[in-house]
Amino acid sequence: MALLRLENITKRFGGLVAVNDVSLEIEAGESIGIVGPNGSGKTTLYNVISGVYPPEHGRIVFEGKDITNLPAHRRAPMGIGRTFQIPRPFSSASVRENVAVGAMFGTLSGKVSVDECSEIAEHYIELVGLQAHKDKESGTLTPVEKKLMEIARALAMKPKLLLMDEAMAGMHPRDIDDMVRFLKKIKEDEDITIVSMVEHIMRAVAGFAERVMVMYRGAKLIDAPTTKALSDPRVIDVYLGRPTGEGEDAEG
Amino acid sequence: MKINIAKYYPLIPVYAVYLTMFLVGFFVPGLWQLVALLAFYCALGQSWNIFMGMTGYVDFGYVTFIALGTYGMALGITYFSQFAGLGIAIIFIGLLLALFLSTLSALLEAGIALRLRGAYFAIACIGINEGLRHLIEGAKIWGGSEGMLYWKELTEVFGTETAIQLTTLWADIAVFIIAVIAAFINVYYMRSKIGYALTAIREDEDAAKVMGINTTKYKTIAFLTSGWLGALVGAMAWGLKLTHVFPADVFVIHYTVECIVIVVLGGIGTLLGPLVGGLIYGLSKYWLAIILPGFQLLIFAPIIICIIIAFPEGVIGVVKRRVKGTRLERYIL
Repeated sequence: MALLRLENITKRFGGLVAVNDVSLEIEAGESIGIVGPNGSGKTTLYNVISGVYPPEHGRIVFEGKDITNLPAHRRAPMGIGRTFQIPRPFSSASVRENVAVGAMFGTLSGKVSVDECSEIAEHYIELVGLQAHKDKESGTLTPVEKKLMEIARALAMKPKLLLMDEAMAGMHPRDIDDMVRFLKKIKEDEDITIVSMVEHIMRAVAGFAERVMVMYRGAKLIDAPTTKALSDPRVIDVYLGRPTGEGEDAEG
Repeated sequence: MKINIAKYYPLIPVYAVYLTMFLVGFFVPGLWQLVALLAFYCALGQSWNIFMGMTGYVDFGYVTFIALGTYGMALGITYFSQFAGLGIAIIFIGLLLALFLSTLSALLEAGIALRLRGAYFAIACIGINEGLRHLIEGAKIWGGSEGMLYWKELTEVFGTETAIQLTTLWADIAVFIIAVIAAFINVYYMRSKIGYALTAIREDEDAAKVMGINTTKYKTIAFLTSGWLGALVGAMAWGLKLTHVFPADVFVIHYTVECIVIVVLGGIGTLLGPLVGGLIYGLSKYWLAIILPGFQLLIFAPIIICIIIAFPEGVIGVVKRRVKGTRLERYIL
């Protein structure tokens, strides 16, 4: 049974078809990259999966249960965690409080006390290496620290599926390599399936994902093992661009 | 369940201030009315803070709760005074009616307005407040625009002596008690899951949802609690104390604005803030009216603006930053 199955998902905003008939199956334990140029519908797809808005068509099945019409706050405790492209910390709260929120509301048990959640938070803050900042107001963190905090916050929810949105955008290449290593490690340690979405950093996709889905103008262009997908001519065409002199529209 | 007493340390300064106020008012001749007014502002600030301070939703219609609380007390005294033998119980019936009416309007507002955000929420709340007022006046409910007068009923039940005691002393003491309860609820919420959820909602409601927070549920909890406390304040400080109620006097947005000023002055979302804000606001308004009668509002506005500029996060917001890392930290919330 697939961990997550998307069946013909379509999401429109007025006349704009942001996600067009996308189907995808994710098995437990996979590392998947979703790539595509700006505006290709990746974030919308994430929003549909995490329940920010319902799709017009299609079904979302998580662990065999149809969650298409479930509100976002009920999906999260089932094991769907996510981070945001532009970090969205609860700014006035400390790093520890932010991560504690994940532990408090993001799990099904829901019986854990505030103090216990604080302890769980400490564990994940240490895991992402933010222990020196744990009492800081999260709004004062650097962008990279905010991204790390969001990962800790999502991990504290004990997700089965972790949706990461541009986690590595704006990072130094060395930090990207560190992050890829870190993601591989937590994937094993915490037994999480990770979907990572990236726009430009092929280094991250190539290093991390075993399988890649490429999106273009809301539709699925290809879904294949990473090396195969990234060398597919169609992908190169719409996404990476052709080497100069090869195609007619190369100069454009 | 293990209760962590240290979580409640911030109540110590709050209760110390309330006790001081009470003793000053009680023993210094001529100050009781001032102290009662200050307690009224502080209690309202704290009640309002539970919703607005913690969720960031600006509820311009908050005065609806205070007004309905007043009507609850008016109805309790007017209609239950005929049952001889109820005695003091009619005051409690009045309080129950205040809670009942405020629950109804809170659920109505939660159903309509809480689906909206930002300015739309604020406007919807004003609309509900004005709508209720015109409904009462137009449909002649509860005396319509002529309102309700029930001093006679009160004296019939309690006798003149006791009725005077009730309206001039016990109504004010009750406001103190409500303030004490409101302070406790503030701390309890801030230190519990509810507080974490509300902070998350205030900072980023959509992110809160995908973190697993049932935002509607927590907003409604805060809204109801805040409304109940407002209604109790209304029932006592207006309903019992004044022994009359007119729709044109109680459904007045001006009181909501006072709440906002008090909480913003003191520090939004803090425990001590509404208390400090209530004291600053009440005292300056009172003294300015004595020193510069007629000009008080002219002076008052610039003073408020200066304080906001000097303390952009409210007085307590700034103090909180100052004491961070010191031993005082655990007493300031």
